[in-house]
Amino acid sequence: MSITNKITVKRAEIAVAVILALCSIALMIKSAENRITWNAEENMGAGFLPFYLSLGMLICTILTIIKFVLKRSPQSKDDSPFIDAVAFKFIAVTIISLVVLVLAIGYLGIYFSLIFFLAFYLRYFSEKSIAFITIFAITTPILTFLFFEWMLKIPLPQGVSEPLFYPVYDFMYGGFSFAVKMIFIILTVILPTVLVFLTTRFIK
Amino acid sequence: METVGFLLDGIFTSLQWFNLALLIFGCLIGLFVGAMPGLGSVNGVAILIPITFIIPPTAAIIFLAAVYYGAMYGGAISSVMLGIPGASTAVATVFDGRPLAVKGEAMTALTAAAVGSFVGGTVSVILFTLFAPPLAEVALRFNAPETFALMVMAFATFVGLGGDDVPKTIFSILIGLALSTIGLDLITGKPRLIFFNIPGFLHGINFLVLAIGIYGIGEMLWTLEETKGKVQMSKLSVNMKEVGRAFGALKKTIMAMNIGSFLGFFVGILPAAGATPASLMSYGITKQLSKNSKEFGEGVPAGVVAPECANNSASTGSMLPMLTLGIPGSPTTAILLGGMILWGLTPGPLLFTQEPEFVWGLIGSLYIANFFTLVLNIALIPAFLMVLRIPFAILAPVIFVLCVTGGYAPTQSLHDVWLMLLFGFAGYILRKLDYPVAPAVLSIVLGPLAEKALRQSLILSDGSMGIFFDVSEKPIAAVIMYIAIVLLIMPAFGPLYRRLFKKKQTA
Repeated sequence: MSITNKITVKRAEIAVAVILALCSIALMIKSAENRITWNAEENMGAGFLPFYLSLGMLICTILTIIKFVLKRSPQSKDDSPFIDAVAFKFIAVTIISLVVLVLAIGYLGIYFSLIFFLAFYLRYFSEKSIAFITIFAITTPILTFLFFEWMLKIPLPQGVSEPLFYPVYDFMYGGFSFAVKMIFIILTVILPTVLVFLTTRFIK
Repeated sequence: METVGFLLDGIFTSLQWFNLALLIFGCLIGLFVGAMPGLGSVNGVAILIPITFIIPPTAAIIFLAAVYYGAMYGGAISSVMLGIPGASTAVATVFDGRPLAVKGEAMTALTAAAVGSFVGGTVSVILFTLFAPPLAEVALRFNAPETFALMVMAFATFVGLGGDDVPKTIFSILIGLALSTIGLDLITGKPRLIFFNIPGFLHGINFLVLAIGIYGIGEMLWTLEETKGKVQMSKLSVNMKEVGRAFGALKKTIMAMNIGSFLGFFVGILPAAGATPASLMSYGITKQLSKNSKEFGEGVPAGVVAPECANNSASTGSMLPMLTLGIPGSPTTAILLGGMILWGLTPGPLLFTQEPEFVWGLIGSLYIANFFTLVLNIALIPAFLMVLRIPFAILAPVIFVLCVTGGYAPTQSLHDVWLMLLFGFAGYILRKLDYPVAPAVLSIVLGPLAEKALRQSLILSDGSMGIFFDVSEKPIAAVIMYIAIVLLIMPAFGPLYRRLFKKKQTA
């Protein structure tokens, strides 16, 4: 019996309800670091609202558990797998690659991380050619850069790759005319595409 | 007469070239987002809101409203062609749209959907223009107690009318509110719920982090599971003869249009309801009232028109409480409302007097957007069909890139990106177990406003909760509060009613 068959909807329901109940208790304890009382003179303590909100959450999860025990919720009677094996592969690989992506962003910077993420993801899940995947993985970060850094002026994290971008910034904020900049933008998108196309033909 | 002047100003505002360009662009993105299975207006708006920070609020709201609107049109395309609803709002469109496509009359279904959407959109915008100013005038007299009571009612509608498991719905509301309390307490200045002393929590949790997490990452995971990365499409022949025949078939759908437009608008106003239940109700009622109700489900144009009319009408309706009361009428408007706060506006009736250009620009743009979306929708059907052929395995990573950059951009902290991933994953698991996620998004947006209103009310009343229930002192607040209580206890009577009804039937 595979793992995906063992995790039934029934088991997932009770496991999630218990986890949520524990989280609610943790929130209550955390809220109690501030004053949780409330009276007319002192008004509300900073912990009052979060404490009673998490108490309410706890009561809701207990009700869900009671409904489960009494078999009153549809999930409590459902022995089908929570997720089927094929979908599990999709979800698991997606989540792991996203976690690796965000880890990499912190170190390598967003643009280079995106290249690896897109290349891996498309290679793993789609049946597209290597040429297509390479072009896609390179042009997407370039467009992201142009959109965020140039149009919106929002710097995205660059990690250790930051020095590589200094010449680009010099160019962006240098005294070049609008036309030169536009030609540069068009070339940055088209050049990699042409290069990849030519190399893949050459390799064939 | 004053309204007409304002409306004309608004229409002119939305016709300025920059606003008009954004409007058309928004309609196109909306149509695209709506047409893609798994993505709806709420996903489009949540993912795109970070990029609106650099444009003026009026242009931003026109753009996002156009996305919202376009998505309502676009949802029908995949409902008909793939048999998968393009968005939850287009679920009911599958019932008759898909059989029509299978019969080879896909063009009839698509035209009926587009025209239905246009009629629903136009009727509701007119109703909106008529209702909004007087409602805003009434709402101007609201103080903190009334505002708080309204928010409690908004939460209560999820419990009373949402139709989901009650403890799970209340849990979702409470967790959203609890998340909104994280960060510095504005009254006492004390830090609240700073987990593991991570400094990132000090600035609180931006509603966008939760919204993009749930509606971007979570939704993608959900759709990847459903489609497993692939799509199947039925055939379509586009020719003028088909379009002509489709328009001919619309004569029989006038009743469906009426039901859809009016029902949709009023259901849309209710906070918990929104466009999805509106379209389902409209389909159900049209079917019951129709002379040939037996043909519904086998492919009749009225079955496509009714839900499409209603979902457009409801999307406009849900903006009415957002603008006049500061209470969103749907998950999408909850995100728009959060956006207004980020743009530096105070949602609520004061907008009508302080920011007339914003309010009327939005209302005017709805008229214009409606027209453009109809034209673009019918003209670009072949293009959207090409888009639908893009496998999900290619679209998904692009959406992930948008989510990660969108989650990072507002606060420029990776801490928020991690939270977004966490919320996305948690939202996906909870949704699979029938925990409704929309109430959490609504309550994280309304949380800070509700807390402020509650505390102000309690200062007014010297700490007595009685201020919300005293009919002689605060009649409006009390009435709203009592309605909220009725809504909260309503689900308890559901099983009782059913039991009595069953006994009667067996007797």
